[in-house]
Amino acid sequence: MALAVSVVLVSCSKDEEISPNDKNAVILEFDNYVGNEKLVLDTKTYKNAANEDFTVTTLNYFVSNIVLKKADGTEVKFPNQYFLVRQADTKSLNVTLKDVPAGDYTSLSYVIGVDSLKSTSDVSQRTGVLDPASYGTDNMYWSWNSGYIFFKLEGNSSVATTPTKKFQFHVGGFGGMNSATANNLRTVTVSFGTTSAQVRKDVAPTVHLITDVLQTFSQGVSIAKTSVVMNPAASKPIVDGYTKMFKVDHIHNDKM
Amino acid sequence: MKNTWLILFSLGLFGWASCSRSTDVPTPEPQPEQLEMPIPTYFPKMVYNLSSNPITYDGFQLGRSLFYDGILSRNGTIACGTCHQQAVAFTHHGHDLSHGIDDKIGMRNAPPIQNMAWEKTFFWDGGVHDLDLFPIAPIENPVEMDEKLPNVLQKLRDSKNPDYPQLFKKAFGTTEITTERFTKALSQFMVFLVSNNSRYDLYLRGTTNALTATEKEGLAIFRQKCGTCHEGELFTDQSFRNNGLSIARSTDEGRFRITQNPEDRYKFKVPSLRNVGYTSPYMHDGRFATLEQVLDHYAQNVKQTPNLDPLLQQNNQLGISLTSEEKQKIIAFLRTLSDEQFVKDYRFADPGFGKAF
Repeated sequence: MALAVSVVLVSCSKDEEISPNDKNAVILEFDNYVGNEKLVLDTKTYKNAANEDFTVTTLNYFVSNIVLKKADGTEVKFPNQYFLVRQADTKSLNVTLKDVPAGDYTSLSYVIGVDSLKSTSDVSQRTGVLDPASYGTDNMYWSWNSGYIFFKLEGNSSVATTPTKKFQFHVGGFGGMNSATANNLRTVTVSFGTTSAQVRKDVAPTVHLITDVLQTFSQGVSIAKTSVVMNPAASKPIVDGYTKMFKVDHIHNDKM
Repeated sequence: MKNTWLILFSLGLFGWASCSRSTDVPTPEPQPEQLEMPIPTYFPKMVYNLSSNPITYDGFQLGRSLFYDGILSRNGTIACGTCHQQAVAFTHHGHDLSHGIDDKIGMRNAPPIQNMAWEKTFFWDGGVHDLDLFPIAPIENPVEMDEKLPNVLQKLRDSKNPDYPQLFKKAFGTTEITTERFTKALSQFMVFLVSNNSRYDLYLRGTTNALTATEKEGLAIFRQKCGTCHEGELFTDQSFRNNGLSIARSTDEGRFRITQNPEDRYKFKVPSLRNVGYTSPYMHDGRFATLEQVLDHYAQNVKQTPNLDPLLQQNNQLGISLTSEEKQKIIAFLRTLSDEQFVKDYRFADPGFGKAF
C-alpha cells in the first residue's frame, strides 16, 4: 500500500509543472519521543543508557536559522525566524515556514538555540519567543549572564542527587560578548530520504520529525553523576547527545 | 434664525482660516520633549546607544517612577532605589552585602549607579553586556526582588496609582507595556545619572584652585601608583582583575562564574572611583569599611592567590609600596571625586511613592 501511494505521488509530480512563482507553507512537526515511545510529560517513567529511571516534566528547545535544501543544492533560508518548541504547548510543536517557493526539497537544517547575533541584539529585537517576559515561570533566559537557554530538559529520577530528586539540564552559551565563553550553538542537518517535500500551489508539505530524548544521555551523561547542569562549559556531552536526536520519519505531500 | 446665520458664518470663517493655514504652514506634530544628557568631553567614548533610546522628559520620569517603585518586587517591598540610594551615589549605605526581599542577603556589594552610558559590562563579574537587559536580573534574583518579568509587566498594566498605562503613553505614545519599553524607560533614568560635578571636575575644566596642594599631590601619586587599572577620568579600565583579596572566607569566583575560564577565577571588575567618598563599604563583598583599609590592603595585605594581577606582584614584592603620608594624600584626592550636586540633585530623587526604603 505504501509503495502504491509513493508511486502515485512520484508519477503525479512528474506530470506537474513547478511554477517558480507559486508559494506555500512547509510545516515542521516536532514529535518528541523517548526511545520508541511518545513522550508523555510527568506521568511516564523511562530508562536512559545508564539504566537510570527518569520522568520528564519539561522539554523545551529553540529552533532557528532554518534552511530548506533542494536536490540540486540550492537553498531557501528563513532568517530572523525563531521558534521555541515546548512539549507542554501542543501548538509550539508545529513550526510553520511561510511563503516557501514551489519546488522539491530534500533536506533541512537548523540551529538548536539562538545565534550570537540575536543573543547580543538590542532589546527591541527580542519579541515573540525571544521576549524574556514571554515564558512565565518556564524561563528560557539567563538574566545574570545575558543569554538564552537553548535547550531545557527537566524531570525526576530516583538516582538524582538533589534533595527533591529533580534533575535539570539547562544548556545555553552563544560564545560570549566581551570574552570567549562556551559556544553550544549547533546546526542540525536532516535528510528527507527518498521522499522530497514537494511544495506546490496546492501542496503545503508537513515534515514529520521524530526526536528521541534518549539521545541526550547518549554521550555518557548520567543523572546520578550530574543531576543539575546549567554551566555552558560543562554542557558539551549533553549538546553532543541532543544534536543527534532529530530524524525525519516521513513527509506528507497531501493536496489541500 | 439670526443666531443660526451667525454660527454658519463663523463656521465658514473658521473653516476658511484653518484651510488656508494648513496650506501655508503645516501644523507640527507635538514632539516629545528631549532631554540632553551631559556628555563630558574628557570622558571616554560613550558605550550606550542613545539613538536606540533617545531620552525624553516623560521617558525619564517614567523610568524614575519605576526605579523607586516596589511594584518590581514579588511583595512590593523592594525597589531598585532600596539598594541604590541617591545620597550615597546609588549604593546601599552601611551594607557590605545588600539585603533584598524577606531580608535575604545578597551575594555582592551593590555598586553605584552613575555614568552608566560609559559602562561596557554590568555586575562585578560583567555578566550582563547591555544596560537595557540589566533590570531583569535583580527582578528575577530570588534574594533581591524574587519576581518574574511577565508578572511585573502585568502589575504595571493593572496599576491605577500611579497610572502606569498613562505614563507609558506619555513616554512612548500608546498605553502598551512591553519588555522593551519597560527596560528602556529604566535605562533613560539610569543613563541620565551622570556624575561630572565633583571638585575634581571643576579642576579638570580649568579651575586650578579647585584642588588643594595636598589633593594635587595625591592625584599625582594616584596616577603613578593606581592609574593603570583605575585609568582615565572614570578611573577604571573596565577590565577584570584579581586584586589579591584573601579568599579564605569567600567562595565567590567572580568573572569565572560567567566565562568558566580558569584564568578568570577570583577576578572582579575594576570599579570606577567616582564618588568613592560616598560609596563605603568597598570591594565586591564590601569587606572594607574605609578608604584607609582599602589602601592598607594594597600596601601590605595583598595575598598570593590564583590569577593575582601581575601589577600587584612586581620585583618579588606583593602589593603597591605606599608610605602612610602617600596614602593620606591619595585619600585626600579621592574625596575630591565626591559630587555633592549629583547626590542631592532633586531630579534623581524618589518621586514619593514611599516604597523604596
